[in-house]
Amino acid sequence: MSGGVYGGDEVGALVFDIGSFSTRAGYAGEDCPKADFPTSLGVHVEEEGSGEGEAGQESSPGRSFYLDTPALHVPRAGVELLSPLKNGMIEDWEAFQAIVDHVYSKYIKSEPNLHPVLMSEAPWNSRVKREKLTELMFEHYNIPAFFLCKTAVLTAFANGRATGLVLDSGATHTTAIPVHDGYVLQQGIVKSPLAGDFISMQCRELFQEMNIEITPPYMIASKEPVREGAPPNWTKKDKLPAVSKSWHTYMCNEVIQDFQASVLQVSDSPYDEQVAAQMPTLHYEMPNGFTTDYGAERLRIPEGLFDPSNVKGLSGNTMLGVGHVVTTSIGMCDIDIRPGLYGSVVVTGGNTLLQGFTERLNRELSQKAPPSMRLKLIASNSSMERRFSSWIGGSILASLGTFQQMWISKQEYDEGGKQTVERKCP
Amino acid sequence: MASGVIVDDGVVTAYNEIKVHHAGEVVGDRYKLVMFRLSDDDKSIIVDEENSVRMKDIEGEGEVFKRLIEKFPLNDCRYALYDCCYRNKDTEKADLVFIMWAPDEASLKKKMLYASSKGALRKKLQGLKIEWQVNDLSDAKDSSALIEKLGSRGSIKELEGKTV
Repeated sequence: MSGGVYGGDEVGALVFDIGSFSTRAGYAGEDCPKADFPTSLGVHVEEEGSGEGEAGQESSPGRSFYLDTPALHVPRAGVELLSPLKNGMIEDWEAFQAIVDHVYSKYIKSEPNLHPVLMSEAPWNSRVKREKLTELMFEHYNIPAFFLCKTAVLTAFANGRATGLVLDSGATHTTAIPVHDGYVLQQGIVKSPLAGDFISMQCRELFQEMNIEITPPYMIASKEPVREGAPPNWTKKDKLPAVSKSWHTYMCNEVIQDFQASVLQVSDSPYDEQVAAQMPTLHYEMPNGFTTDYGAERLRIPEGLFDPSNVKGLSGNTMLGVGHVVTTSIGMCDIDIRPGLYGSVVVTGGNTLLQGFTERLNRELSQKAPPSMRLKLIASNSSMERRFSSWIGGSILASLGTFQQMWISKQEYDEGGKQTVERKCP
Repeated sequence: MASGVIVDDGVVTAYNEIKVHHAGEVVGDRYKLVMFRLSDDDKSIIVDEENSVRMKDIEGEGEVFKRLIEKFPLNDCRYALYDCCYRNKDTEKADLVFIMWAPDEASLKKKMLYASSKGALRKKLQGLKIEWQVNDLSDAKDSSALIEKLGSRGSIKELEGKTV
């Protein structure tokens, strides 16, 4: 085997897929990631030398991080919530490293220098950040080989498509990414902030209007059952530390996210008040014991994803609804490849798991797409595949024997420097 | 991004065979469809001789398109080159069609493997202008999806001797 090729396949490669909402990581060749935890972490700025470390705590001089659900959920004074990614790209490198460290120590339990690493990246990731990441993995973690893959390409491939439009609706953005012959067409990427976090914000406003207080479980010592609609009867935990606003908001959002997943449903046709009024009501109990029924709201809130024109607080907005994101993106691509994109619209991302999401999208696209186009929406029925599609794609790819020659080996990095990533992982 | 799978020399030989018409060749021995698949060790793309079709295999066959499609597996992936004969208005035409067959029913691993290896194969098969990606088996049931690839709407009158 030629010198530059990474040649050791005895030890399994690792796959990292770090999204703005959650981090997925595990061994290549396995069906699902070993680690799946929130990417958001708690950060505490130390005034002096920190004390003993505890589970889930990764320290660096000056700041200590609390990550992964168990550690993140403990109320602590002065711990602020932080996301290391901004717009899908790494912004806070120290916090990012805390996540990688945590994966190695808690889930992989092995030395970084033994395992090649395949990482996913946002399709619009910048050259500077890709090179910096490559440098970090080789210089700091001393890994034997590295590869960077665009999430959308992994998703398209995992669905048997070298050409297709990947619609990824996650926490922060809904994005359409055209993939042609295995390459992302950068000029056709279209993004909209109408995604999971937007829905959470709408729910928060609904609760305000209905005078429902959101009480995250960390505050609750005990609760009594109450009649429907009656004020909740719960007692607050004693001695709660003075938590930060950002951390409290995060804990409230977790409550809202559960509400979103349990109660909301996307209407299969444009929202109609009369239809919505007929919607069967659904009973939902808040963590503090408050219960009530939700009816028309179930459809009204997610409607904003598809039709932002009536959303309060977005007046005069130019945000694109999900259907428009798709058609705009395809419209920006060469006319010859448009049929291939309409013929393979791959739906992925946690926000697409909202009930009725794909049905509505299908309906909108069949109305918006040119009539001559063969339209096909692909959405895995398994929520695991929908959330993990890029991780699973990376897992298969990195486990292939033939993939060995694709890796950037340590030797290639030493010889060619961090620029090697542009050549080997275009 | 690619899988690193290599293309066997036999694939290029078969491509040249189906592409070039030689004077004096026996017509019945010509390929109508060359099927390609991943080798059993998943390391290279090889000719799937067993499922390839030669002219003599379809002699006198009325339903050529249907016979060819039946050669593809329902829950596995393949690549193929198809020497497609059709008529647009009054001209008899023949074009090589590259088929990427990756049904949604195939396993995730196969889909990943075939989609990520397609680039390497296409590099060896230069000069093909028509590519047909089949993911939904209902697209292969009738020939309309393929016909859309061959020419603009309504311009194709016949496929494999059958009026469309």
